[in-house]
Amino acid sequence: MTHLLYLLYLLLYIFIIYGDPMHIMEGFLPAIWCIVWFAISIPVIALGIYKLNKLVKEKREILPLLAVAGAFIFVLSSLKMPSVTGSCSHPTGTGIGAIMFGPAITAVLSTIVLIYQALFLAHGGLTTLGANVFSMGIVGPVVSYLIYKAGMKAKLNFYLIVFLAATFGDWATYIVTSTELALAFPAGNVLSVAGFFSSFSKFVAIFAITQVPLAIIEGAVSALLFKYVIEVKSDILVEMHVLEDSVVRKIRGLSA
Amino acid sequence: MTNILDDYALMSPLRHRNNWLKLAIVLFGLLAGVSATSPIPPIFIAFCMSLTTVTLGKAPLKLYFKLLLAPLGFAIAGVLIIAFFSGSGPELLSFEFLGYPLSVRTDGFELAMLVFARSISGMCCLYFLAMTTPMIELFAVLKASGLPESLIELSMLIYRYIFVFLDMALCIRYAQTVRLGYSNFRRSINSIGMLASTLFIRSWEQGDKLFLAMNSRCYDGKMTLFEVHRPVKVTELLLTSAYFLSTLALFYFTKNISIV
Repeated sequence: MTHLLYLLYLLLYIFIIYGDPMHIMEGFLPAIWCIVWFAISIPVIALGIYKLNKLVKEKREILPLLAVAGAFIFVLSSLKMPSVTGSCSHPTGTGIGAIMFGPAITAVLSTIVLIYQALFLAHGGLTTLGANVFSMGIVGPVVSYLIYKAGMKAKLNFYLIVFLAATFGDWATYIVTSTELALAFPAGNVLSVAGFFSSFSKFVAIFAITQVPLAIIEGAVSALLFKYVIEVKSDILVEMHVLEDSVVRKIRGLSA
Repeated sequence: MTNILDDYALMSPLRHRNNWLKLAIVLFGLLAGVSATSPIPPIFIAFCMSLTTVTLGKAPLKLYFKLLLAPLGFAIAGVLIIAFFSGSGPELLSFEFLGYPLSVRTDGFELAMLVFARSISGMCCLYFLAMTTPMIELFAVLKASGLPESLIELSMLIYRYIFVFLDMALCIRYAQTVRLGYSNFRRSINSIGMLASTLFIRSWEQGDKLFLAMNSRCYDGKMTLFEVHRPVKVTELLLTSAYFLSTLALFYFTKNISIV
């Protein structure tokens, strides 16, 4: 088994360079799975839109803010991240979105961002949009949000919480992507529990080459982002109810 | 500067054709591609769409090939996994690598080829849309299709700010690079964190300004769009139906074909 993995690691050198296991590319999933993932994602997006409409009715100034947040996620995800292999790949940025706006609205924002990524950068696609929204726009942010909430309740170090939330959000995304691929292409061509797990373990093992270090880097960058924002303009975070005023003062007191 | 496909769409002569027709062509190609059971229809679709994008859409040929190569990493990785592990039929090719026997079986190979062809055809359809239809044109279509107002509004604002922030990010990155901000791994991480936080703060301030600007121009939650009416020409209709029919015919005749 280890030899086999070595071979795959060699064969997939090109993949390490261009590696982008987050977005399932256009046309990769068979028609039936495209429909399944759309059917799962659409209700969540609808819930997000419902919440969004309610929020916009209450506070009209929120719409421009959400728009710049969406653009921010897009730009962050089109920036190249430094990575250990010397290659580059990009972060999802949705973990930060989930911490700031909650998972429902992040789902809507990332749907729009994913459409733009497909059309402008050829990352992902339209038929695979449902699957990509489910992995990057729903599961990833939900995991990040839960970790953030749990961490705040446990009164851990704020930067540690952000790091954990972004890293685990990334890993959740990549495990869901592997699941989606394994469900569509199980070993032996027939969907069975054994076939699914055999195929799943291969996708997970191969994506792990880029995803394990990349998620750690993304976590570190997200924590740094919050560090600089707190140093320069912490009132934004207080205004958005991400942090309490007292917590900010405590963090600044420690870092000063 | 950046490789945003929208820039090319704005220059394409196909921009001035009926948007619904273009969208129909793309959706047909995507759906026919993913539901194909042999690799021949997707290859046909990929060929037709590339030809249209390059000849009628006047997309630069060199750029087009470069674009096709870009997502190949994912395709090759996925296809190799499928080829080596998903087969159960007779062996097509087997060899030993570092003491571990590897074999490609017929049905695994067929499935891998099919998936590869599908991805390529999907990419070609997507590039056709991306390189001939600017986003501004699509907004009018989206509005007419009855999607929620707030969603379209949000997408329009995001679209506008993507370019503002992208410029900002590139400027910051350039400034950081000339100051050796990316000279080693530790510095790179630090620099990109600084870049992201500056971008966040600036975008936040921009959002405040935007709200002020829109409010002072009587923004009431609705933006009206002007949709240019472009009737479908007979030649376009003929070409499209010929393409649809030949794809469907190919689809039907290659239903049970196997390539190995």
